[in-house]
Amino acid sequence: MEVRLSTPVDAAALREEVKKKYRDVAIKPHDQYHFHTGRFLAARLGYDSKAVDALPDEAVESFAGVANPFSLRDLKPGERVVDLGSGGGFDCFVARGKVGSTGHVVGVDMTEEMLAKSRKTAHAMGLSNVEFREGILEQLPVADGWADVVISNGVLNLCADKQQVFSEIRRVLRSGGYLQFADIANGKPVPESAVANIDLWTA
Amino acid sequence: MMEDSGFVDVRIGPPIDTFGGAKGEPNARRFEVFGYAFLARKP
Repeated sequence: MEVRLSTPVDAAALREEVKKKYRDVAIKPHDQYHFHTGRFLAARLGYDSKAVDALPDEAVESFAGVANPFSLRDLKPGERVVDLGSGGGFDCFVARGKVGSTGHVVGVDMTEEMLAKSRKTAHAMGLSNVEFREGILEQLPVADGWADVVISNGVLNLCADKQQVFSEIRRVLRSGGYLQFADIANGKPVPESAVANIDLWTA
Repeated sequence: MMEDSGFVDVRIGPPIDTFGGAKGEPNARRFEVFGYAFLARKP
């Protein structure tokens, strides 16, 4: 399994490409992408069907994760959770169902359209303990040691400086806190020429 | 990578065929790309 720590691409340019792609997923969730989306994807990845069925379409339709970050450890009532690259908010709303009214969920995303969508959905669902903050994963807008759990789904692979992201995750987690995330990894090496091609990161 | 960043008790779940049936399936098959769940703890 191969996971790259650093990449030969420009971090700022990569962010703009990612924003462009996920802006489309926010606004046009039913278009065809290179990945599955929405309720079909959630079922494919093994999410609890009752939890997903209970969510409104707006909370699920832009979901574009790659596996289930709750499959190796479930969240506990009262836990404080940070979701890295929260997108349309799907994993935050699933997390809210697990931590309950005494917990707190903070989603962090850099795409304006995703933030607008997730905030609107949280408001419509009447959730006062789910919030969405604008930011990048290399510089999280979360206080030191605040989180019991950090989750993420299909986002870390889109960051150019993964070591900095993991450093930030350590900073915001309390001692004894958990990192539980989902991401992709390749079994065969990708040629350097492809890795350096920024268009292929989100294609 | 997680252990290098100071995390412990690292676990990795089974591979998930994330891209099967999607437009990205050919590239995923070419490079054996799968989705995984990861779990680790900050000491």
